[in-house]
Amino acid sequence: MDNVCEERTFSSIFKTNSKTIFNYIYYKYGNEEKAHDAVQEAFVKLWENCAKVTQEKAKSYLYTVANNLYLNVIKAEKVRLKYAEKHKGGATAESPEYVLEEKQFKEKLDSALNALPENQRTTFLLNRVDGKKYAEIAAMEGVSVKAIEKRMHLALKSLREKIEGI
Amino acid sequence: MQENYLAKWLNGELTESELADFKASEEYATYQKIINASGKMEAPHFDVDRAWNTFNERDANNDSTTKVVPLQPYKQFLRIAAVIAVLLTGSYFYINSLDKTFTTAIAERTEITLPDNSQVSLNADSKVSYNAKKWDSKRALELEGEAFFKVAKGKKFTVTTAAGEVAVLGTQFNVEHRPNFFEVTCYEGLVRVTHAGQEYQLPAGNSFVVVNGKLVTTDKPTALEPSWMHNESEFKSIPLRYVLNELERQYAITVSTKNIDTAQLFTGTFSNTNLKLALESISTPSQIEYKLSEDNVLFYAGNTP
Repeated sequence: MDNVCEERTFSSIFKTNSKTIFNYIYYKYGNEEKAHDAVQEAFVKLWENCAKVTQEKAKSYLYTVANNLYLNVIKAEKVRLKYAEKHKGGATAESPEYVLEEKQFKEKLDSALNALPENQRTTFLLNRVDGKKYAEIAAMEGVSVKAIEKRMHLALKSLREKIEGI
Repeated sequence: MQENYLAKWLNGELTESELADFKASEEYATYQKIINASGKMEAPHFDVDRAWNTFNERDANNDSTTKVVPLQPYKQFLRIAAVIAVLLTGSYFYINSLDKTFTTAIAERTEITLPDNSQVSLNADSKVSYNAKKWDSKRALELEGEAFFKVAKGKKFTVTTAAGEVAVLGTQFNVEHRPNFFEVTCYEGLVRVTHAGQEYQLPAGNSFVVVNGKLVTTDKPTALEPSWMHNESEFKSIPLRYVLNELERQYAITVSTKNIDTAQLFTGTFSNTNLKLALESISTPSQIEYKLSEDNVLFYAGNTP
């Protein structure tokens, strides 16, 4: 059996992909609730059509469903991302200036990210936060690797320009 | 610098010289900062196990509906409807191409109008069949039993029975074929009868009778139609056995005989509507007795000479 109707196959697909689907939708629309719903919706659809979807196709099927769910329906909200905690009780003493500067930089980065077109932001964050390769992102979005490189390049360029205040 | 060099840089795909140039540029510091800062970002918390449980509960709740209800029941319906439509059309044409068959039961008569308005009167316990589709090119039908034909003028009209073939152009004639009995009577026009490889021309007012494989000559019929058309069965020098068989067909009764010579010839008629009268009509001239009980009749030799 090559389809995904088998309980164990299905649950392993769920475990490996749900988090990324969640992030993917969140990066696009900045709405956690919608991102949670998208995960559920995508897997319900996959389960309903499990007999027709092969294991290789399951991933792109999930992203297509999740993506189509909110296409042209909801407006992107502000994407808010936390930063990893600093090493607790770290030996490195940081000057207040440095801490302030870093805080300001993060704020600038945040607003620059939200100013990006949705597809550039999604690509950038999937790569930077989730460590997804360009090829993987290309498969999720259903575009070529080169298109993803272009988005990545433009994203970085816009971010720098925004942060430097150009 | 190559196309999309920022993306290539992140992926470590720049050449050494390109990398050196890039590092020397003034934007480099900011890019590095962006990369460092974004590398520490975290997406909102997502609990895979909780999502899995949510999914399973939802799946369990909806299991019966989500799995069973087709996504597009209307489409499913259309599919079935299409199949039925195809079958119906197919069988319509198939059935149309089959022969049309009309059957009468014992004590039943029916009238049939053929495609060219020729009339067929079917006597009791008989069967006629023809192909309506090919009728225009071939006027032919098969007969078991007895029927009277009023044939419209036109091409050759053929009646086939197991005992022989009757061909006409346009006329009125009666064909009767019963076990060991074959009779054709022509009332108008000319009928050609083929029996046992022999061809006979039968002009109006003549009968062609074969009993037990032997050709029998009979008197000319005087009527314009066979008597059974007027609810009478008429016989001219016909062995009693066939008369009694006809009686069985007209009344749905069982006839039995005792001490009677059923080969004796019978000339006369009997009513097809009044059994009592019919029994009298047969028994009196033959000088035999009968006993009727429900749907059984026993003919037996009388005591009187």
